[in-house]
Amino acid sequence: MDSSVHLDNVVMQFGDFTAIQKSDLKIESGEFFSFLGPSGCGKTTILNMISGFLDPTEGCVKIGGQDMAGVPANKRPTSMIFQNLALFPLMTVAENIEFGLEVRGVSKSERKKASDRLLALVALEGSGHKKVSELSGGQKQRIAIARALAVEPQVLLLDEPLSALDLKLRQHMRTELKEIQRKTGITFIYITHDQGEALTMSDRVAVMSAGRIQQVADPITLYRDPQTAFVASFVGENNAIQGKVERIDSGIAEIHCGELGVLKGRVQSSVAIGEEATLFIRPEHFRLQPEEGMLSVAVEIEEVNFEGAYLTLSTSTTATSKQTLTIQLGAHQYNDDLAKGKALSLSYNVSDAIVIGGDSNA
Amino acid sequence: MLNQLKARFGSGLAIGIVGMIAIWLIALVVLPQLLMVDYSFRPNLLPADIGGPKDTYSLVNYETLFSNHIHLKIFFKTIWSSVLVTALTLIVSYPIAFYLAKVATPQKAALCLLLLIIPFWINEILRTFSWYIILAYKGPLNAALLGLGLIDRPIRFLSGDGGVLIGMVYAYILFMIFPIYNAIESLDTNQIKAARNLGAGWIRTHWRVIIPHAKPGIATGCIMTFMLAAGSYAVPALLGSPGSRWFTQIIYNWFFEGGNWNQGAAYAFLLLVICIGFIALVMRVFKVGLGDIAR
Repeated sequence: MDSSVHLDNVVMQFGDFTAIQKSDLKIESGEFFSFLGPSGCGKTTILNMISGFLDPTEGCVKIGGQDMAGVPANKRPTSMIFQNLALFPLMTVAENIEFGLEVRGVSKSERKKASDRLLALVALEGSGHKKVSELSGGQKQRIAIARALAVEPQVLLLDEPLSALDLKLRQHMRTELKEIQRKTGITFIYITHDQGEALTMSDRVAVMSAGRIQQVADPITLYRDPQTAFVASFVGENNAIQGKVERIDSGIAEIHCGELGVLKGRVQSSVAIGEEATLFIRPEHFRLQPEEGMLSVAVEIEEVNFEGAYLTLSTSTTATSKQTLTIQLGAHQYNDDLAKGKALSLSYNVSDAIVIGGDSNA
Repeated sequence: MLNQLKARFGSGLAIGIVGMIAIWLIALVVLPQLLMVDYSFRPNLLPADIGGPKDTYSLVNYETLFSNHIHLKIFFKTIWSSVLVTALTLIVSYPIAFYLAKVATPQKAALCLLLLIIPFWINEILRTFSWYIILAYKGPLNAALLGLGLIDRPIRFLSGDGGVLIGMVYAYILFMIFPIYNAIESLDTNQIKAARNLGAGWIRTHWRVIIPHAKPGIATGCIMTFMLAAGSYAVPALLGSPGSRWFTQIIYNWFFEGGNWNQGAAYAFLLLVICIGFIALVMRVFKVGLGDIAR
């Protein structure tokens, strides 16, 4: 069954405000796809367009190749898990799960079978008679999943469903969601502002900012090769150093970063000689001991933060411009020498640094 | 309550406040009602005989209603018509309340609420009288219907119970809209979206999700509307025909025309008992408790 979702040149406007800039995106059948972005970037609007609660101003949404224009929300092959779950508090757990089937006129005994099967899927056998208010946060979460799956949707839409859970439960639910997706084989479209969620669960991620899809890629590509300054700084930690491009040679750009001198990095996108550009180096790519072919920057430690498995150092360059750089080291590298005020020479591999044209704040 | 007030205002002022409330409730509410109950069990006597040997307690005043077929008929018609008014008001109010709570933008909702409230700044008698003009045989409504060619001859709206029903639905609509509006507004909009998302059409979404949530509001609105309708005097007096008298008019007549307060008190008391019975019934039917209504 084709359960792909195609956003065919969609635009969404609310009055003068453009919530979604023209976007064209195809989500494959059976894919776990995430939209990642800060709040207000338009990711929920996309979900509402797919589910039919909003009609795009331009373009159309196609599900399984079929144009969904004019198909109301209750006739679409999608099912949504809401941020606040929106379980029906006046119905029992079983009635909640069976609601979608009741609507479709499924007989009572068939409904009972379905809800028992789904309760087993989410490991809550025998809780059908309970009231929603008797469940814990994690259990409610699973009932919401069961209710959404009961209607056998082609596409499951998840609107930040884990944001209300505590950290441990959230990590557990990530594995569980991934497992359910594998078992059911349907398309999952997941909305989140939490990059950890997006990166761990998704086959592909679309990073959004201000109504624009910045980049669509698998998590590893997204992390290693961000195409825009926004993606580079939003996904994972990154140090951004501004400068002016001096030379480009076989994919390596030399940029003049004021008092820090000339630094080099891989050219990523829209870099031109003489133009402003930003060099991004991730905290984990800095070394304390230089190796062959590395570039170095002289810094002074401002703060040492021990975080268990690793430690982060906040440093600033010794030049008068005081560029701040964050470094991440393995916990085994900790020693008493690393203290505020100590001078260090940070080295990095040119291939680990990337250069993106334009101002990083753009 | 007294302790809380003491902590805040000191004991002198606290006792003063509680005392005034107590005097208000006892002297102005409880005692007059008890006096009426007392009246209702005693015969209507000349001033000279009051306190004399003839002044004994009996159920005679209550029996009068059951032996007077005309009064009994009006009594049940009042109850039945009030139920009808309540049902009609609910049918008219629910869509308005839903629109205001979930469909309209905040600006539109505010405007609509204002438009609904403004007419109620005018005295009830005047509002009712304006309906008398609208519904009159040669009034604007008949003229409009004739002009549109929908009817060939004017309708006598005011001859039966029709005028009274229309007038009451209009008079009490706010008492129905507001509790339902409040109840629906407190419903998480995602619940409606979830029902739609799971495939429910509008009717089922209302029936299974919105109405169950709004039940306490609906019950409150129904109780208020029924009480006001059953106890209404102005609307039936102005819009009713001689054939559509309301029980309140009979009670009025006993008090002010018959001069028989004892008989009037008995009738009023019976109406009260029936109304309380109706409230209990509505609460049972809607499965709501007193706590839900007070919310």
